[in-house]
Amino acid sequence: MIAPRWRKVLRDIAGTPLRTSLAVAAMATGAFGVSMILSSYSVLTRELKTTYTDTRPASAILILDGAVTDALVDAARRVPGVADAEARPVIGGRLRYGNRQWLPLILFVVRDFRDVRMDRITGATPIADDEILIEQSSLGITHANIGDRVVVRTSDRGEHALRIAGTVHAAGLAPGWMEHAATGFVTWNSILRAGAGVESQQLRIVVSGDRLDERHIREVAKRVESAIGRNVTRIDVPTPGRHPHAAQMDTFLFLLGAFGALTFALSAVLVANMIHALLVEQLRQAAIMKTIGASTRQIASLYLGQVTILAIIALAIGIPLGISAGRAYSSFCASMLNATITNAMPPLWIIACEIVAGIAVPLLVALGPVWRVSKISIHEAFSNGVGLRAFGTRRFDRWLARRQRLPRPLMLSLRTAFHRRGRLLLTVATLAVGGAAFIAALNVSAAWTRTLDADARARRFDVQASFGRSYPIATVAQALATVPDVEHAEYWIESGADLGDTRVSLIGPDVNSKLLALPLIEGRWLKPGDDAAVVINQGVTDLHVGDDLALRIKGSDVRWRVVGIVKELWPTKDVYALPETILRATGQPRDMTRDVRIVTRRHDAASQVAASKAIEHALDRAGILVGGIRALDDARQSFADHLVIIKSALIFAALLVVLVGGLGLTTTLTLNVIERTREIGILSAIGATPGTIARGVVIEGIVMAILSWCVAVVVAVPITFALDAATGRMFIRSALDFFMSPAAVAGWLLLAVVLAAISSFHPARRAARLTIREAIAYE
Amino acid sequence: MITMQRITKTYETPAGAFNALRGIDLEITSGEFVAIVGKSGSGKSTLLNMVGGIDHPSAGSLSVAGASIQNLSHNELASWRGRSIGFIFQFFQLLPTLTVSENVMLPMDFAGTLPRNARRARALQLLDRVGVADQADKLPSALSGGQQQRVAIARALSNDPPVILADEPTGNLDSETSAEIFRLFAELAADGKTLLVVTHDAEAAASVSRTITIVDGCVA
Repeated sequence: MIAPRWRKVLRDIAGTPLRTSLAVAAMATGAFGVSMILSSYSVLTRELKTTYTDTRPASAILILDGAVTDALVDAARRVPGVADAEARPVIGGRLRYGNRQWLPLILFVVRDFRDVRMDRITGATPIADDEILIEQSSLGITHANIGDRVVVRTSDRGEHALRIAGTVHAAGLAPGWMEHAATGFVTWNSILRAGAGVESQQLRIVVSGDRLDERHIREVAKRVESAIGRNVTRIDVPTPGRHPHAAQMDTFLFLLGAFGALTFALSAVLVANMIHALLVEQLRQAAIMKTIGASTRQIASLYLGQVTILAIIALAIGIPLGISAGRAYSSFCASMLNATITNAMPPLWIIACEIVAGIAVPLLVALGPVWRVSKISIHEAFSNGVGLRAFGTRRFDRWLARRQRLPRPLMLSLRTAFHRRGRLLLTVATLAVGGAAFIAALNVSAAWTRTLDADARARRFDVQASFGRSYPIATVAQALATVPDVEHAEYWIESGADLGDTRVSLIGPDVNSKLLALPLIEGRWLKPGDDAAVVINQGVTDLHVGDDLALRIKGSDVRWRVVGIVKELWPTKDVYALPETILRATGQPRDMTRDVRIVTRRHDAASQVAASKAIEHALDRAGILVGGIRALDDARQSFADHLVIIKSALIFAALLVVLVGGLGLTTTLTLNVIERTREIGILSAIGATPGTIARGVVIEGIVMAILSWCVAVVVAVPITFALDAATGRMFIRSALDFFMSPAAVAGWLLLAVVLAAISSFHPARRAARLTIREAIAYE
Repeated sequence: MITMQRITKTYETPAGAFNALRGIDLEITSGEFVAIVGKSGSGKSTLLNMVGGIDHPSAGSLSVAGASIQNLSHNELASWRGRSIGFIFQFFQLLPTLTVSENVMLPMDFAGTLPRNARRARALQLLDRVGVADQADKLPSALSGGQQQRVAIARALSNDPPVILADEPTGNLDSETSAEIFRLFAELAADGKTLLVVTHDAEAAASVSRTITIVDGCVA
């Protein structure tokens, strides 16, 4: 038999369905939000890592100056420290389906599709030598279907028709739709290899021992280089254990974590608000129980028990829904990163943490109100206006009381709102945390868009073309002169250099070029006479203005002084120097080029695409082999596609906050009105019409919404700063410029006011319709 | 049973200090049925609250049922109150979500005075004594004012306390019901309970053994 006091708890829960459902809804929404984010975070962290490591990524790639034979692979496999080795030549080219545009293409040559030992692919079946397997994330951008024939042009100018035999999944590769480049796999004897094509002859190795130790990997790769007795032009060591899009993953997982924490904070405030409201209602009953002998501990245990029951009900609703939503979101994110989710269930310890937090947080935030209820004196509880200081005892009250020119209903609403300080504080805090998170999410999203736009604005050309080899500038210029859309062209000097173990690009724009105006983080841009001076981008780490940049170019060491650091969107390592500086170091001829940047007469996306076609046609006619041609808008779009997942995390967070915050606002204001039922009865008794009462309550809700908006805007500033800095550094190695989105600020104000009006209107109308007797007798 | 010496109670209000009780000396023996009368604001309820340990005196000493209650802690006071005092209020103050019998069982539950399986029988016995046993499994909202006050009396008796305090117990009842309630009080006093009843009802007050009149916080 249940003791009467516990029966009271159960009946209080069942007997006040509106309040109980509001409290459960608030807690369940919080549990849902936190569970959804934690589930997505844990599933994605686990699955992305597993998906990538399951491909058995190569520890190092040795690029040779000649063909990688089976004998050479066997020799590499025998080197101590090598777990496995495999030849994987790579062919750069372009692909076209029908009359569509050429698409950049990277082709991997596979020795034996039945025995792929590293950088594994799934779904591969043996194919003929005139067939190609397309990476599944690239098929869409080719516009072709399985069975169609596509034309592949490699850098030896040969064009070959290949049949798409199927798709494969290469989880270790970045998705093709995001890179705006297709990826495919061909056989060892593919027809593409018949000509004297330019291939990157790659020998890939997987080391034994610690595969995450970069120094160990480099030592083993050096050993292989010595053992095979061939000229190795470069050794690439991908960051061990890091997916090519790890920076993206880190950024959006960080955002998920950050907004998970914000949602958690929001839920905690919301739950505190609910519990406070529930317990205020119980003050008189607590006093009665004390009068008949209940101790503080007995009363506290009753109310903590009540909170625990509500929390358990909320968890039973919130956690399964959160896990389901988290699974859907994880699958979406995984598809964005070319990964698959094999197990969408979050780890049990995550669910256990959610349950513990889902019960512990309400209990913790309930401790204060429960303590207050348990300790309140009977005398205080039985007197009117429990816990309230008389209006007029504070300076602010007196100031408010002097505002006589305001309409009386507005005056009453304002004074009522400010009279109940605790309630006002909690309501404003709930909404402010939600508002700040919402505004910060949209601010960061806008900051990324602005960074993208700023980078596009800094490159004042429309089309960039690169060639299969060097051509005389005069030949290229002559060909371009035949294209009416071309207004201006510049031929920059470009080369590569080694900075320690990493490769950097050397770019020599014309000294008076107006086509590049990159934003400076530090120092200045190049000027005439800067003989041994360079400007680096933020991708070249650990250097400052005044430092020397030590590079190895074609076997010689050079030291150039860093005079400036610029910010670029792509986190590649770029070094800008005057053309003469690069020419002197590389020995390239001045009148030859492999690259041209073109300004067209019109600059919109469609004109850029049309101009690209005309330019390619003209270059083709002139016998110039085009390795790639790209409209600037396409490059911009490609980076925008890299941001899709980050923006999805931000929009997802904003929507979640709207859901949790919106429900918080609704429940809080509904409880506000419930608490004031007796007061509303008194207003009715002295002649207030239902319309006047409803208007007053709605105004009070709007006042709270506006106050919370003010706080939210202030709180959003440091959150935005922190998120801009963290996500920028993770993805582009430089903090984003702070931006307060007017749309976000205005959007939350509108949302908060509309939600406040809607959520106060119904309970206000309900209260106004009560008879005076019902309202005054209300407990 | 109740001894008050120089009891003073002062409240700080926005309008300044207010002396609700001014040096009250009072002695009430076991089995007395005492009415406390006086105008509104004279200090009657404050006096009752002092005796019940609901409020603390600002000065003076107070002993009720053998305990110097100003020296008891919050929890000791609650425990003492559960066993020594039965409260009856003008607005009954029954817990709305508990049935009549559960309301009566609740003080036993808190004080742990009887074995759990004996509590309902005790509650029914008390409800029978006050004449509402047939309402035992109803919620308070289903009862009339007089019936609710009888339940409140049963609840006040549930731990068999030596002192019963009633604050305007008939203020919300008609005259016939009020007379019945006072008859019940007289029976309790006859059984040895000490009763202190704050009332405005002069007719009902006539049935008590002693009347104390409070004027401006002093015994007249």
